Amino acid sequence: MSTPTTDRRAPAVGAGPSAPTDGARRPPATHAWRGRRERLTAGAFMAPSVVLVALFLLAPFVWTVHRSFFSDTRTTPFSWFDNYALFASDPALSRSVQNTLMWVVGTVVLPFVLGLAIACMTDAGRFSRLARLCVVLPYALSGSAVAVVWNFMLTADGAVNQVLTGLNLDSLAHGWLLTWPGNTVVMILANAWQATGVAVILFLVGLQSIPPETLEAGALDGAGSWQRFRHIVLPQLRPVSIIVIGMSLVNGLKSFDLIWVLTQGGPGRATETLAVSMYNETFLELRPGAGAAIAVVLTVIVLAASWLYLRRQLDVKGV
Amino acid sequence: MTLGRVLRNGTLTVLAVLWLVPTWLLVVNALVPAGSYSGSPHWLPRDFGLFDNMSQAWDRARLGPAFGNSLLYAVVSALAAVAVATLAAFATIVMPVKRQVLWFWVIYSGTLLPLQVFIRPLFLSYAETSLYDTQIGLVLIYTAIAVPFAFFVMRNYALTLPREVVEAARMDGASWWRVFWNIHVPLSRSAMIAVFVFQFVAVWNDLMFGITLTTSRNIRPVMAALADLQGNYSNVGPPIVLAGALLVSLPTLVLFFSAQRFFISSLKMHH
Repeated sequence: MSTPTTDRRAPAVGAGPSAPTDGARRPPATHAWRGRRERLTAGAFMAPSVVLVALFLLAPFVWTVHRSFFSDTRTTPFSWFDNYALFASDPALSRSVQNTLMWVVGTVVLPFVLGLAIACMTDAGRFSRLARLCVVLPYALSGSAVAVVWNFMLTADGAVNQVLTGLNLDSLAHGWLLTWPGNTVVMILANAWQATGVAVILFLVGLQSIPPETLEAGALDGAGSWQRFRHIVLPQLRPVSIIVIGMSLVNGLKSFDLIWVLTQGGPGRATETLAVSMYNETFLELRPGAGAAIAVVLTVIVLAASWLYLRRQLDVKGV
Repeated sequence: MTLGRVLRNGTLTVLAVLWLVPTWLLVVNALVPAGSYSGSPHWLPRDFGLFDNMSQAWDRARLGPAFGNSLLYAVVSALAAVAVATLAAFATIVMPVKRQVLWFWVIYSGTLLPLQVFIRPLFLSYAETSLYDTQIGLVLIYTAIAVPFAFFVMRNYALTLPREVVEAARMDGASWWRVFWNIHVPLSRSAMIAVFVFQFVAVWNDLMFGITLTTSRNIRPVMAALADLQGNYSNVGPPIVLAGALLVSLPTLVLFFSAQRFFISSLKMHH
């Protein structure tokens, strides 16, 4: 029987007064050795995960935090918080912050309201299942594919303008992705088109876990359907709601693919969110210090948002 | 039918139709033969040019090699992440490990950080170590990025497994490796499949690492190739771009609908 600990055990065997024998029934004198061997085995089980995460994720994170304190001039001297001060002085970054706020509101409110409404309105009937399928379907597409679809809808000779012209509303037809803040709004809608599906699924799971007896009891007590929804269903959906809000919030903050493929943050950096600004500053404007500062700010916001639903989750699981 | 029911079904129909329009246009216009596309979107299918459009996207826009690459990245990374994360979850939950909370946070913290915070250091060190623009480089980062969440799900699942079996096996003198392989893995199979499906989709859909850590057409993953195709929208024409988008979405669509059960159970486990 080969165990991953075989070679790690060797030094312990050589150094110890009594070599640990195989099996669980060993004399008490070797108790300390046994504990040590167990720890080594456990270490070997955890090592691949820990090494991968530390090397590819945590070390780059520390590097980025460190880099954010150095300016982008040629000698890169230590410059305290100068890169963070760019948030106040750089107009492209202020616009990016504005857009990020719009994204956060849009990605939290739209999937939440629509997801809850659709999950509650559909029942087990065939028509309901079909309607639900229409909404869930885009969830299986990638952000890049969603961008391709919505580019087709929104370009100058796209489907939306075609419909408007067909309805004799030519005055409303325009380049949807060209002017701020309209371009950010339509991208938030495109995002909601994709993201509502997962909210529907989560709310359905939540609805199924409500015991039908409580609803029946409410009906027997003479509660109307709105009252039952307000006082029985909604309180029981609280845990799922927190998850949906937290998840949408974090996904909205992190969203990159859709914006990148649709506009690359343009025109003139008007549709950037922090996630896109970081990429542009680092790789296109070649200002890695500014990019690092944006990444750190984004991290702080994402961590704060994650805390919203993690706190609850970790309480329950008792880590 | 009561008024409430009519209202409900009406709202539902409007929402469903609104949602269906982009999907419908995607499919219909991917069907239009590229040569006969008139310049404005079609609303009804006429001729069937889908396979021709797809093969043009596959060959001319070089989606072909990217497709193979992404299949490799998604399968290998998701498998590796599941294996590595299951080992770690077993160690932190079943084995007597000190400082469990610390190890949990060391591994789990990776999933909380936005990708932007890793990307430039990775780019620089990949360039330094000649991992840049290689398949192994992408497999490594995709595995690393998948581990924290996989670990989280496998750990939560391990918490629900009965401890008695493991304790009995240990009393009988089975080694930890044997307990892991013969008892823990068979019991965790459903969670492992769910995590695999989830991570396969995540890797398949990634764009950012694809455009940052690769440059050549026979290394880049499929979403980077699709973004490139979209960049040539006016040259290639909408039918081919849409057919390309449909083509690269097929694997995840198939997985999603054949493994919906696993998707939902992984969502449940996540929370």
